[in-house]
Amino acid sequence: MLKSAAAKKGSATVLLVLFLLAASSAIVLLKAATDKVVRTKIPGSSIIYIPSGKFLKFATFGYRDLAADAIYIWAIQYYTTPTIDDRFDHLDHVFAIINELDPRFQDPYEVGAMIAVDGAQEVLTDTRDLSRGRGRLEYARSLIQAAFAILDRGAANNPDQWVYPFNAGHIALMTLKDYPLAEKYFEQCMKIPGAPEFVERLRANAIYKKGDLKTSWETWLDIFKRAPDERTKKIASNHLYNVKATIDRAALEEAASKYREGHGRLPPDLEALVRAGFLREVPKDLDGKDYFYDPATGKVRTAISPWRR
Amino acid sequence: MADAIRIENLQKKFRIGFIPKPREILKGISLSVREGETFGYLGPNGAGKTTTIKCLLGLIRPDAGTIEILGRPHVQPRSREALGFLPENPYFYDYLTAREFLSFTADLFRIGRAEKARRIDRLLGLVGLERAADLPLRKYSRGMLQRAGLAQALINDPKLVVLDEPLGGMDPLGRKEIRDIIVRFKDEGKTVFFTSHILQDIEMICDRVAIIVGGRIVKEGGLRDLVSEKVLFTEVTVSGMPPQTFAGLGESVSAQGDRVLLKIYDEALVDQVVRLIHERKGRLIALSPRTETLEDIFVDTVTRT
Amino acid sequence: MKIGAIAGITFKEAKRDRILYLLFFFAALGIVASRVLAILTVGDRVKIIKDVGLASISLFGVLMAILIGTGLVYKEIDKKTIYTLLAKPLYRAEFILGKFLGLVLTLFVMTGAMTLIFLAIVYAHTLKIEGSLLVAVAYIFLELVLVTAVAILFSSFSTPILSSLFALAFYLIGHLSWGLELILKKMRPGAGKALVRGLDMILPDLENFNFKTEVVHGLPIPPGIYLSSFLYGVCYTAFILGLAVLIFRRRDFI
Repeated sequence: MLKSAAAKKGSATVLLVLFLLAASSAIVLLKAATDKVVRTKIPGSSIIYIPSGKFLKFATFGYRDLAADAIYIWAIQYYTTPTIDDRFDHLDHVFAIINELDPRFQDPYEVGAMIAVDGAQEVLTDTRDLSRGRGRLEYARSLIQAAFAILDRGAANNPDQWVYPFNAGHIALMTLKDYPLAEKYFEQCMKIPGAPEFVERLRANAIYKKGDLKTSWETWLDIFKRAPDERTKKIASNHLYNVKATIDRAALEEAASKYREGHGRLPPDLEALVRAGFLREVPKDLDGKDYFYDPATGKVRTAISPWRR
Repeated sequence: MADAIRIENLQKKFRIGFIPKPREILKGISLSVREGETFGYLGPNGAGKTTTIKCLLGLIRPDAGTIEILGRPHVQPRSREALGFLPENPYFYDYLTAREFLSFTADLFRIGRAEKARRIDRLLGLVGLERAADLPLRKYSRGMLQRAGLAQALINDPKLVVLDEPLGGMDPLGRKEIRDIIVRFKDEGKTVFFTSHILQDIEMICDRVAIIVGGRIVKEGGLRDLVSEKVLFTEVTVSGMPPQTFAGLGESVSAQGDRVLLKIYDEALVDQVVRLIHERKGRLIALSPRTETLEDIFVDTVTRT
Repeated sequence: MKIGAIAGITFKEAKRDRILYLLFFFAALGIVASRVLAILTVGDRVKIIKDVGLASISLFGVLMAILIGTGLVYKEIDKKTIYTLLAKPLYRAEFILGKFLGLVLTLFVMTGAMTLIFLAIVYAHTLKIEGSLLVAVAYIFLELVLVTAVAILFSSFSTPILSSLFALAFYLIGHLSWGLELILKKMRPGAGKALVRGLDMILPDLENFNFKTEVVHGLPIPPGIYLSSFLYGVCYTAFILGLAVLIFRRRDFI
């Protein structure tokens, strides 16, 4: 009887172990079953309830950088989840929190701006209406504004980093085609020591596109004179050629249309404009070559493409 | 008569310290307690008395050996259905009253409500706690806790009662009461197994004893068998006679004023001394033969081991 | 029923613990304060009340479960009340289960009280009580039951402070399982990925009981999840308790 008691105690342990194995397999199976169920996951949407990064700064008890890292990592996952329709609603808010917590954390500025710009693209082109009734254009515009807000913050918190005004200028130039704004940013960028020299050229280009041909000419001339190498000189010279050509072309075409108003038809050639008194002399391009004039359309073009010189 | 407790070759090692060094506490204990017996378990501190009891109750798992309680293997909880236990320093839930605690204990034996109420009242009366029954246990004195502990040990009307140092820390009146209760158990046919340091009490009530020293049983047997009725010496107190009178007959232990205390080892000489006192007109104050006591056996056994 | 008797005194003992009322006070404060927070927020006010309210019940419930649960078994051993208890004809499993049920009962009462306050505040704002809120609370309670089992498991062999840390770690790990899923998506197949996948299967996924987001945003809860989530909770709790019994059976009470 004593032996059977020991066996019973042993068998109780065996039963217990079997039970544990059964329970653990049930757990694994049930977890798999539960995972299969699709739930609309909105991870951390309650972050939006937090008023501001300033408040959060105090609430994180000195682990600000860690909190910034954590929120940033979350944000990356959040914004790269395409199924969340309304994820762009509070983009600036989220990145503002990260920036406030750790102003010297560089990645979020650039990445945040990039997400905003890409988001704007998506809003305009996606089949779903990501603006959810607020108007695609309006919404996309607000996202671009958010990108600028983020980059401005980056520049303000890190005055030694040229990338932020550079990025902003780039967005203004390429996406918004807001040339005065681009010029402003490139100028800001140039002032920061360490800014690459091609920023000057971008600025000059922006001025040109803006339409201020005089300043554009002066800027390119300045670059031409200060050019540290042949390549830069050549580029500057091409731009100068282009600016002159634009100025000349505009003047010629305007004179031609005035001639048409006066004489009822387009001038046969450019000398006719001088003869008629609309021009003092026929301008030549920067290389001293003539411009081509098409009497049928009244349009002027350069003998050679500025970039082929 | 069946055995209430049967322990065979009980062994237990403890691993103590950060780098566990095993220390053998019980080195192969074997003993048996017959039903209806009152059994005393003695030993110096640290010998393994409490460890034996804890193994018996299933609080500690033995490394080897078997234990049977009332014929059942001790690992089965059923073996404790007819067992009552009072630990050395009773600790109970101090926020419960004695009544609530006894009620809870009764529930663990699945005693029905009516029977439960009856038993609780009877036991509270038995241990003398009727008036304090509805006070929380944290307000009890040590002696009162001891009584409450005794009550909870008896709630299931056990056939076997195990007591760890039941008489410790009580005043002489309390000790007498407990002793009387234990004797009552014997009358009721209950088996009692208890440890104690107070050897006079053991001598008074036990049928059999075992002495454990260093994890081993070094002596076991009926009290009458261990403690012989042999007279070690006779103490005689005399007055009115100078000590020198008794030279050669006995040892003069002390002489205070008029009185002389003699220790006479040879029984035959005692008569001689008495006659001498009578002749010389001395006064015999006292005469007491000193037999071997349990304490003698105990001290002798322990120091010899 | 012996388990019931032990559950009864555990409940009696737990409800005397002052920590319970302290935490309850903070929970009530949190729920009521959600009204104040609602004023500071941009957007739907009721959402924040529901969110903060449910979060309070969840958080303080977990704290109650851990802080009281980790002391339950330890106290009995430390105060030596366990000697007389285990000398009774009691299986050690009955002891563990009794302690567990006693604490679950306590938490049931506390959760119920917190829920009443919560529903009262929601009612004051919306003049209706949604069934989905009760569902969310029910599954919060299931989560509490599991955490209680974990607290008791650790309490059966460790001191209250360590037990609390382990139980808290269990809770945090349980809510970060989405991190594991993310890592899995970005890992290349191989031994490492298999290991992480294995971990993902066995580590607790407490998000299964988290319906706060759906309830607060008014999203539908897919019906298939109710049963599987509930069974998951029950099985995991059973597993933990089984483990606790296994460990507790082998303990020597010196």
